Amino acid sequence: MCRLLHTTLSRKGLEEFFDDPKNWGEEKVKSGASWTCQQLRNKSNEDLHKLWYVLLKERNMLLTLEQEAKRQRLPMPSPERLEKVIDSMDALDKVVQEREDALRLLQTGQEKARPGAWRRDIFGRIIWHKFKQWPIPWYLNKRYNRKRFFAMPYVERFVRLRLEKHARIEARKKSLEKKKEKFLQEKFPHLSEAQKSSQV
Amino acid sequence: MARNVLYPLYQLGNPQLRVFRTNFFIQLVRPGTAQPEDTVQFRIPMEMTRVDLRNYLERIYNVPVAAVRTRVQHGSNRKRDYRNVRMKKPDYKVAYVQLAHGQTFTFPDLFPEKKSPDGSPGDDDIRDQLLEDQRRRQTRDPRRGGVPDWFGL
Repeated sequence: MCRLLHTTLSRKGLEEFFDDPKNWGEEKVKSGASWTCQQLRNKSNEDLHKLWYVLLKERNMLLTLEQEAKRQRLPMPSPERLEKVIDSMDALDKVVQEREDALRLLQTGQEKARPGAWRRDIFGRIIWHKFKQWPIPWYLNKRYNRKRFFAMPYVERFVRLRLEKHARIEARKKSLEKKKEKFLQEKFPHLSEAQKSSQV
Repeated sequence: MARNVLYPLYQLGNPQLRVFRTNFFIQLVRPGTAQPEDTVQFRIPMEMTRVDLRNYLERIYNVPVAAVRTRVQHGSNRKRDYRNVRMKKPDYKVAYVQLAHGQTFTFPDLFPEKKSPDGSPGDDDIRDQLLEDQRRRQTRDPRRGGVPDWFGL
């Protein structure tokens, strides 16, 4: 993205919410491509931290510009800049999450940052229950003890019905795929994969 | 701090919670009604508090803040689409920040009208040429003596 003359922090704080004054009133402002995941993986953690805040300030500036454009009922100059910044920030977040996951796996062997467990809820479904932090133990916790992690016997019928519904949906999808295959086979016999493999 | 993130429980004696890479994005907006000169108006995510905003502006933007007041603006749910389903405009929090050390701020004009002196004679010439080309293409049969084509024969 094309930048101003000064690269380090500018003296005036609130000016950073606005673009370079030369760009005010322009129809288009040129900007480069967004950061890709692979480019960000080559950077150190310090660099990523600094880049996050650079992108944050740019995003704030573009959001103020967007809001002002809506207020004045005029088109925002080059709105694709905002999409590029958002994509860069998402890629940065993804890269940092990858690094944190790798560290945690190596140091502790835990796959997930937040502890949890597979439990059967009151409807008979098996869910991943995420633990919450409490200042008191679970056996003294009134709110937690009101939650039931077991299903009564009369729920088994509904579990069977849910299973049947799921099975029917899957069977319908499979039969639709088979029908489509058959139709295409009849219409375009010369394009089938069996013929290609036989031809060699 | 950050939005969409679970804050860990605080108990007496815990270290100060620090969040690297905030998730908060704020926008400076032009005030609808007249505000005092030292007041700046922001739109903030709902999860942000006035303390958060003060720290945000002081640390990231080096803006000295004297006071912050916030309110929540309800986004209208009254409009309905072609199916009579209600369309919600998102709610947002508005913050009024008063700057310290007697600084003042006026919202600038971000869309000034710009005149391009070199471009205008070129445009006029092009327009004249196009009009002349159109006139030349539309010359009718000279034997009709200037009578329009609406009349038969």
